[in-house]
Amino acid sequence: MPSDEMWINMGPQHPFNHGLWNLRVKLKGETITQAEPIIGYLHRGWEKMVENRTYSQIVPLADRLCYGSSLSWNHLYCLTAEKLFGIEAPERAKYIRVAVLELQRITSHLTWLMAVGTDLGSYTIMTWSIRERELFLDLLCKLSGARMTYNYCRIGGVRNDFPENYERDVNRTLDEFERRLRDLESLMDENEPFLMRTVGIGKMDGKTAMNLGLTGPIMRASGVDMDLRRLDPYEVYEDMKFEICTHTDGDVYARYRVRMDEMRESMKIVRQAMAEAPSGPIRVKAPRCPPKGNAVCHVEDPRGESLMYMVSDGTERPYRLKVRSPNFVNLSASPPMLLGFKISDVPAIMGVMDMCIGETDR
Amino acid sequence: MRIEERRYTKADHFRATGYVLKTMKVTFKGAIRATKNRPCTILYPWEKLLYPDNFRGRPGIVLERCIGCARCAKECPNQCIEMVTIELPDKGKVKRPQVNLGRCMMCGNCAEACPTNAMIVTPEFELCSYSRGGLIFDPVKLQHPHKAGYEVNYSFALLSEMNAGGEIKTYAKNDNSVHDTIVLDGAKCISCSRCAKTCPTGAIEMVETGEVNPKTKKPIKQPKFDNTKCVVCEQCVDVCPKSALSVKEVL
Repeated sequence: MPSDEMWINMGPQHPFNHGLWNLRVKLKGETITQAEPIIGYLHRGWEKMVENRTYSQIVPLADRLCYGSSLSWNHLYCLTAEKLFGIEAPERAKYIRVAVLELQRITSHLTWLMAVGTDLGSYTIMTWSIRERELFLDLLCKLSGARMTYNYCRIGGVRNDFPENYERDVNRTLDEFERRLRDLESLMDENEPFLMRTVGIGKMDGKTAMNLGLTGPIMRASGVDMDLRRLDPYEVYEDMKFEICTHTDGDVYARYRVRMDEMRESMKIVRQAMAEAPSGPIRVKAPRCPPKGNAVCHVEDPRGESLMYMVSDGTERPYRLKVRSPNFVNLSASPPMLLGFKISDVPAIMGVMDMCIGETDR
Repeated sequence: MRIEERRYTKADHFRATGYVLKTMKVTFKGAIRATKNRPCTILYPWEKLLYPDNFRGRPGIVLERCIGCARCAKECPNQCIEMVTIELPDKGKVKRPQVNLGRCMMCGNCAEACPTNAMIVTPEFELCSYSRGGLIFDPVKLQHPHKAGYEVNYSFALLSEMNAGGEIKTYAKNDNSVHDTIVLDGAKCISCSRCAKTCPTGAIEMVETGEVNPKTKKPIKQPKFDNTKCVVCEQCVDVCPKSALSVKEVL
């Protein structure tokens, strides 16, 4: 190996990577010539563990796949189980789920923004976005009783109805957050160092992104109009009026913009779902054992397309539960994203990916 | 479709208002807001966040209501609830849940499964202990002053009624009129009356079927279930030596 080339282990303990994973990069001078993500430090055997749990017991465990967006995993599990059981949630439960999922999406994106802020050296971004996230955590806490692991969806509906004056509280919060989001954006959009570190970095065109199987905001930032809420609508997303945010640049700045715009769209959806929710039951009784068979279901997680595949052998425990994590796929595309850029660009490129090792390693 | 075009241009770079005054505006706005309002942070051990009534902390128990049906122990995803024998002044030796809070993940499933709302979700979350044994809460230590809103109640509808159309009724959690029933396969029953002995609510009564055992010349008894008392804890199903009992679900 020539003396100007070297391998660097960025991780498993490194300030830029959120969670336990390792990024090995080969440098020539300061330029990355080879990269290799290594995961497996947080493997908890989740898929094996749930084979020993009954269907209703897995619901709170599905929260623990990702603490940043626990509700979306919780919901995905319940949706897949409902498909397997052959039941359907009542209409009101669907509207409640959509509203709450979008609140969760905003919370998840704010958590991501906090991480990106510290990666790119601005503590103000971190403190501000964490402060705004607290508004939504309070809302979700009032609804479900927990701040992060909600355990809210149930097979066949949701746990409880909206508490008193919930719609008023949500609308007030969203009004306030809309103002604050403008301030928050000005921290980044008018910040010269932030732009220097993001514009033109980690470029990836739409065709490459599709070939690599990227999902979520990273895919949409490359100009590919792909959103499962529109392409394969679940719950009541087809009745909601919202835009799918895409950007044509395909660089880190575009990925940041897509997520910021998505927060605005999520707010629109929350307002619609809260206003249009019909009255009625919120939960149907689910049977204990599903019929033999399998079910597969995919939803649009804040990070991309997440999928669960469930096989039942007719007993009260699943025979197999496969989880497809969006981050696992996005992480596998990191070498082509990193090649040719400097080592100081690594935090920007990988940080904007919104890494969550809990769901990647499972 | 692309929603908002915002692109950084080189012209912004040279415009003084673009990156000096605008940013200063943001800074001053933040500074004024921070001086005018109270800080967002709190001094934690002395000052605590306000939590709603349904805040999910550790599980608690109201011992007067508990019937020892072990549904919480069955529902717990982490298997942290164990039924232990304790001596109660009015009931004598009974089995009551003991929770290992070192394993508990505060999901509230035990309170949701409880048929008498004896298991409650308390807002207590400061549970540090110097030893692991200190985290194992026996039924007496697990008790918590009860307040309305600590129980987990839910309502549900039945799928068969929803599919049939018409008026959809919602039922409360422990509605006796719709809950699952235990059914007996009379051919398998050996009249051991273990189910009647294990039933925590006394819903099982051994009644004579009218037949007579040809060997002993005694009348054969088989369990009869009182569905208004039954809480579907399935302890009789588990204890039956011949698997004569099964659960019939209401859907």
